[in-house]
Amino acid sequence: MIEQIIVNGILASLIYILMALGFTLIFGIMRIVNFAHGEFYMIGAMVMLMLFGSMGLPYFLAVLLAGLLGGLLGVVAERLLFRPLVGDELAGMIMSLAIGIILQSAILLTFGPAEQSVTRPFSGTWHLFSAAVPWDRTVVAICALLILVIFYLFMKYARLGLAMQAVAQDPETASLVGIEPGTVYASAFGLACLMAGLAGALMAPVYTVGPYMGELPMLKAFVVVILGGLGSLPGAVLGGLLIGLSESVVTTLFSSTIALIVSFVLVLMIVVVRPTGLLGRGAR
Amino acid sequence: MTDVLLKLHDVTRRFGGLTAVAGVSTDINKSEIFGIIGPNGAGKTTLFNVIAGYFPPSSGKVVFDETDISGQSSDRIARRGIGRTFQAVTVFQDHTARENLRRAAMVTRRYNPLVYFSSRNAGDESEVLQKMAQFTGLEPVLDNRAGSLSYGQQKMLGIGMALMGRPRLLLMDEPAAGLHTSEKKEAAQLIRRLRDELGITIVLVEHDMPLVMSVCDRILVLNRGTPLALGNPAQIKADQTVIDAYLGEEYDFA
Amino acid sequence: MRNRYLYLILVVLALVPWLLGNRYVFHVATMITIMIPMALSMNLMLKIGQLSIAQPAFMGIGAYGSALLAMRLGVPPVLALLAGALIATAIAVVVGPLFLRIKGVYFVLLTYAFGQIVNLVFQEWTTLFGGNNGLYGIPKFSIFGVRLTQSPHYYALGLLLLALFYALMRRIERSDIGAIFESLNENEMLSRSMGSDALGWRIGSFALSAFIAGVSGGVYAFYIGFLSPETFGFLMSVDLIVVNAIGGVASALGPVVGAILILPLPELLRDAREYQLLIYGVCLVVFLLFFRQGLVVFLQRKRRA
Repeated sequence: MIEQIIVNGILASLIYILMALGFTLIFGIMRIVNFAHGEFYMIGAMVMLMLFGSMGLPYFLAVLLAGLLGGLLGVVAERLLFRPLVGDELAGMIMSLAIGIILQSAILLTFGPAEQSVTRPFSGTWHLFSAAVPWDRTVVAICALLILVIFYLFMKYARLGLAMQAVAQDPETASLVGIEPGTVYASAFGLACLMAGLAGALMAPVYTVGPYMGELPMLKAFVVVILGGLGSLPGAVLGGLLIGLSESVVTTLFSSTIALIVSFVLVLMIVVVRPTGLLGRGAR
Repeated sequence: MTDVLLKLHDVTRRFGGLTAVAGVSTDINKSEIFGIIGPNGAGKTTLFNVIAGYFPPSSGKVVFDETDISGQSSDRIARRGIGRTFQAVTVFQDHTARENLRRAAMVTRRYNPLVYFSSRNAGDESEVLQKMAQFTGLEPVLDNRAGSLSYGQQKMLGIGMALMGRPRLLLMDEPAAGLHTSEKKEAAQLIRRLRDELGITIVLVEHDMPLVMSVCDRILVLNRGTPLALGNPAQIKADQTVIDAYLGEEYDFA
Repeated sequence: MRNRYLYLILVVLALVPWLLGNRYVFHVATMITIMIPMALSMNLMLKIGQLSIAQPAFMGIGAYGSALLAMRLGVPPVLALLAGALIATAIAVVVGPLFLRIKGVYFVLLTYAFGQIVNLVFQEWTTLFGGNNGLYGIPKFSIFGVRLTQSPHYYALGLLLLALFYALMRRIERSDIGAIFESLNENEMLSRSMGSDALGWRIGSFALSAFIAGVSGGVYAFYIGFLSPETFGFLMSVDLIVVNAIGGVASALGPVVGAILILPLPELLRDAREYQLLIYGVCLVVFLLFFRQGLVVFLQRKRRA
């Protein structure tokens, strides 16, 4: 029983971490709460539906393309819609809201409201102690881990990654040093949406796919990021693990709705007591 | 009835590992003009902010007219009759001087939301407003936009606004900051008039030595957060420890 | 002065349903009269410089509150309506001191989390609220023994409440309370140094906005006769934001105008209801990029120029 709870928790955590990292990256660098983040997840899943489900492209290629498309969409959105609003936190938030509902409506109108299934690429389960681990979720987990490692290396060693951190810490000094904030904004937003798209694509075959599927992951990402600290990347990882595991426990003991309520009550408590979350820096 | 209006009991304020102010105790008497000075980083502003309610003291007490006000919020302290002015010009830039003063008068109304529901042109404060406008010399520019007034006039407006609440104690944060020499003399006169004509007790934090020496009855000198000396201007000027503390800074004690 | 023409137009528009006599038109009109106070409720919070997306949750509390009081305890509808709204207000007063110390983005997130919790509770506590299947069988509204059974009655009720709340908002705007809000927004430190109890006024606004939302919720409950948690979710906040953004925040007239322009849209495009959100989204984008101050201020500026 306990092993199952832990396994379920960790499997969920990995996806939450992917979503949360992007969400917190956008806030850390652009001070925008991206209410559309779930929609980029959903778009990744819908693209997966088309490429892998309908057109039969190889699994990993489809996942990659879905992610890239999400990222591209993100870059376009940033350049055209968010860039003019830099600095106005509230307007940025509302703009993300608008983008979210536009994306959701567009998909709704194209594909209809019904949820669809994507054929599972892998089936069967294996056993870790007494816990049953489905193969498809295992593949998702491995891919997620891979993405996280690449993300970590990128942020730590790539010039663009370091530039992002610089802009997040101190945009004025960063521009003095020659870092062009515009490029960083676009890349960060694109990267975040790429990760959301990849997460959506990976999860597409696991459950069902539909225009509304992004709402729940968005809520979870939100909770994770508040817990970990808005703008903190390590916080997103820690928060993801904590929320994934605690949710698994509460869901098994009570219900998933109650788990969600607990998560939100946690959010309330954190914002009131320690808005910067577990690992966040002080608010600017 | 005691003559002491404000008592500081062993006031200490820490920020994390840094002790900004430690062990300040003093009595400030009614109708006194009391100065707080010290070299940079001495903790004057922190002490000022503790009294004004921006931070609670980490330990110690602030007692106003026999009521402990330590840790109360800045607006509550204002309603008790402690006004304050700001170092930088702080007025509502886009409104007329008259509107600025009128808004400041709201604190004198009994604290009842329904009273505020009445129209914006309530006449009850116009008498006080006229008086304060006269006192601060702002009468001619009452209907000008505050942002268009000169720096000195805006500072005056700030003082006028603080006065609209009819405070018994006025905290002044560097009243001479940014003023020309002639304006500083006017400021000194005004401070004396505040005490002489309006009976207000004044506590001021200041860097400008001539002003402090000419206007204050007593002066508290802080150095690195702790009290160094307390006395009248003559005593302070002659105090060697004070002179030593200021070594390396350019001050004309004359 | 210019506002008089606008008011005239609004009064004429208000009479349209009676001129057309169509039951569907009355329905749409009634829903608008329920939603405009919601928009005003959000506007009130915007006046103190905070975006609160808890308003739909308060509406839900008022709705379920009045419905349950009328259904389970036999409370007369007028009292139930009032009581439901007061429950919402009480909750606002309780969480207010906690929430309203926080500002900006974090405050929005707080109200977001609060709204989600309330919604989830409606969903999960099925014995009391009926859960996702909904709460059925809410009695019709009655005042002084007169039962309101048809849309036109509810429309009239809605109009009355709308007029009342609008008048209240305008009074607040014009009064010294409005001046205090402005002062707090412009320079909180200065206002507080003059004695303005910033937290107190914020809690007051929050409570009043919850009351208005609660009343709207109650009217909704009696009108529709059926409640489900979905109605009071995040999506309604989107509507309210769109209405306030387009109409403009500066004056209470803004959301009224915004609501009248925006809210009938999904009904006019009845066959393409899915387009509603898309249109809202696009409108929002356009307004954020070009008309950030909102229509009403934009129009007023144009006239001055």
